[in-house]
Amino acid sequence: MLTRLAGGRVIDPANGRDAVGDIWVRDGRIVATPDHASADQTLDVAGCIVMAGGIDIHTHVAGTNVNTARLLLPDLRAGSAAASVPVSQTIGRLYAAMGYTMVVEPAISPHVAPQAHLELSEIPIIDTAILTVLGNDDYLLRLMANKESSAAIADYAARVLAGSGAIGIKAINPGAAASFKANVRSFGLDDAVPNSDITSRAIINALQAATESLGLPHPLHLHCSNLGMPGNVETALATMEAAGDVRLHIAHLQFYAYGKDGPRGFSSGAARLAEAVNSRPNITADVGQVMFGQTVTVSSDVLRQFNARGQAHPRKSIIMDGDGNGGGIVPYRYRKTDFYNAVQWAAGLELFLLINDPWRLFFTTDHPNGAPFTAYPDLLALLMDRSLRAQHIETLPKDAMQVSTLASITREYSFADIAIMTRAAPARLLGLVDRGHLGPGARADIAVYRPQADLAAMFRDAALVLKDGVPVIRDGIPVAQPFGRAVAVRPGFDSAADRGLAAFYDSIYGVPHTAFDVPAADLLGRTQPFETVPCRT
Amino acid sequence: MIETAERALIGCVASVDGKPVSPTEAIYEAATLLANSRSAVVAGLGTDVAGARASVALAQAIGASIDHMDAGAVFANLDVMRRAGWIVTTPLQTRTRADTVLLVGDGLLEAWPEMADRLGLDAPPTLTGGARRVFRLSSGTVPPVGAATILPTLAALRALVAGRATSLDEGAFRPLSDLATALAEARFGVAIWSGAELETLAVEMLCGLVDDLNRKTRFAGLPLLPPNGAEGVTQAAAWATGFPVRTGFAGSEPLHDPWRFDARRLIASGEADVAIWISAFSSTPPPWDDAVPTIALVASGTAFGTSPAVVFEVGCPGRDHDAMLFDPALGGIAFAAASARRTVPSVADTVAAIAAALPQC
Ligand SMILES: [Zn+2]
Repeated sequence: MLTRLAGGRVIDPANGRDAVGDIWVRDGRIVATPDHASADQTLDVAGCIVMAGGIDIHTHVAGTNVNTARLLLPDLRAGSAAASVPVSQTIGRLYAAMGYTMVVEPAISPHVAPQAHLELSEIPIIDTAILTVLGNDDYLLRLMANKESSAAIADYAARVLAGSGAIGIKAINPGAAASFKANVRSFGLDDAVPNSDITSRAIINALQAATESLGLPHPLHLHCSNLGMPGNVETALATMEAAGDVRLHIAHLQFYAYGKDGPRGFSSGAARLAEAVNSRPNITADVGQVMFGQTVTVSSDVLRQFNARGQAHPRKSIIMDGDGNGGGIVPYRYRKTDFYNAVQWAAGLELFLLINDPWRLFFTTDHPNGAPFTAYPDLLALLMDRSLRAQHIETLPKDAMQVSTLASITREYSFADIAIMTRAAPARLLGLVDRGHLGPGARADIAVYRPQADLAAMFRDAALVLKDGVPVIRDGIPVAQPFGRAVAVRPGFDSAADRGLAAFYDSIYGVPHTAFDVPAADLLGRTQPFETVPCRT
Repeated sequence: MIETAERALIGCVASVDGKPVSPTEAIYEAATLLANSRSAVVAGLGTDVAGARASVALAQAIGASIDHMDAGAVFANLDVMRRAGWIVTTPLQTRTRADTVLLVGDGLLEAWPEMADRLGLDAPPTLTGGARRVFRLSSGTVPPVGAATILPTLAALRALVAGRATSLDEGAFRPLSDLATALAEARFGVAIWSGAELETLAVEMLCGLVDDLNRKTRFAGLPLLPPNGAEGVTQAAAWATGFPVRTGFAGSEPLHDPWRFDARRLIASGEADVAIWISAFSSTPPPWDDAVPTIALVASGTAFGTSPAVVFEVGCPGRDHDAMLFDPALGGIAFAAASARRTVPSVADTVAAIAAALPQC
């Protein structure tokens, strides 16, 4: 069937297009304008904005930590649309309603990958992927302690990626979770895991090297040490320096944008971080914007979560000394009247507005840690409208605004900027050549928005969304509920790596090393096999 | 739709009112019972993740509620977790790192017969090395304090660890005081209990003790989880509905109420007029016998007091067919290939066939 999306303003930065025109779709893919054929179906989108489907590179939507948050907080009613940790079914519908067609769950330890994939298989409409978490896992630390070659580490990483069905590698406060099990209570970039000389810095460099030698499309995705602490802007700057010239993605940069200035010893360090990102082309980052309201922090940074227990609201929390990273669940409420929360809010917006390359900066709230993803439309509006920002600034503590440059920033995002940050750039960052753009050959994952004065309303309820060419959303309401694909890389590895791993699991864990492997898609209840993203050669 | 069901149920053994029937007839009978019901409950839920998914989907479609046969033990743990939170760990971390292990209660072997072997309790921690000290806090090892239950003993132990005064007599003080000292000396300690045995208040006290120990050292709990697939079902229910079992789907949003949606209570009070009883791991009949018309999906060889209205034999997950299951030795949900594969429908197949035969509304 040939479908024509007629007369919209097509914003497709990957192909340099921003003009009123048509998009043609055949068999789930975008095709060039046919010479003679006439459309079987014409969807009139005149007056609307047409973009590729959105891609969220960092959102905690599945896995044992997220599911434990649901169980911990029945009062937050995960089954409802307003939930900070909605259920699988709702995640797919709400993302699709906003015009998103793919999300990446960025924090799955290899041993919990099977459950994560089961959860993802119940998220309707959108495509999904996971990042597998390394850096606190016993075997990597063993390889590094034994001074094994970088090739051996890369082989191991490849084996884990294959077993966990992941699209890339994430490191979360590398070394800290392992150290916390030995009663270490703070852990920085140059601290070593007890009884070893393995520093966080060394782990980061080793995993960067593995990522590059395997040719993974996605750079190492890093959650740095010292998250949330005053003065941690120094940690983020030192971590960027530690990356050298090698690619590195820093997750939820806002949570590292804190200085120690001002009368309360807490200030926004966002301007310094933005300057550093602007001058280092190997660095990408997502923001992890804070928005005000009740949420729950769900993190595999178990040490940080343990130390944050005193701030829990409501007053309960879970700490899991898990295999590898484990994690912690700490419910939290960001309050407009709170000095620290207001500085966090401002720092995030400063990062958005002061980092000048939308191809290297990604739109996230670190759902649900800074805010639930359902706050995205409100955040997009803040980026595009400085008078709206000014109104919000008026309502926040003055002393908080005095330790941030936000009020002085006039930049407003254009639709093209938004399309880059939420579509074209994520696809490029993940190596997805047929997503994030609207050129011939792309998957027909398309979002159509009807412009209106209320920008948030426009982004909350897309006028029309196509997934693989099929209309799935009309005016924010699901009209079809197909299931998307799970996307993963499958780098090859030396079978010797597998034998070494097998021996380690047998002797140390007493279970087969294949026990945690994610089975084929049909055994997860998926109707389509995994989609493989090629590695760079 | 019926033909599809027939194909999906190859190898199906079914009966209606105790008489063998074809799968088609049994599916028709089950669908008719559900279609005519005012309020149904899907109970037992002794099944794998796929069975849980199908059961939750069916309950959502017909506005029924869900419960698990071991919900009492599920909530002994979960009620503590969601009231106060907790610090817990995994079986693999226990095996590799725990230099101190506290075994609480008499029911651990019953909850997990292979526990000592799988956790390697008789050997040093496999990763960190050194000695492993194992302490037992059960009826035979420590003099009971006050009452017959373990709660006062745990309370006294927690007080001793926190350095608070106790009113223990000399006979009870010495061993508990020694134990408190040993726990505080742990580098990575793990306290193990079974929710099937301990009452909620005892679990809460134990978790409080673990929390207190973390002021100076590292300690974590390892709850042994109930049988019959309870943990996999709990997890699957949570990601599908936001809640564990004992959740109802009659309204526009799921409603969770452990008292209200207790299947036995719903049936005893007459609030539920049809039940689905699922027990794929064990030959357990519905505990209400024929108090309500029941569609039973059970392991072969299940003996009933009175024949349920409809019976389907279902395969044992991980033995008769492949399954995603919570594995206590792995501490998570993992793939379990069939160990003795045979052609028999799964819970998921059977529930899906019933759902497909329901009149569209
Ligand atoms: Zn995150």
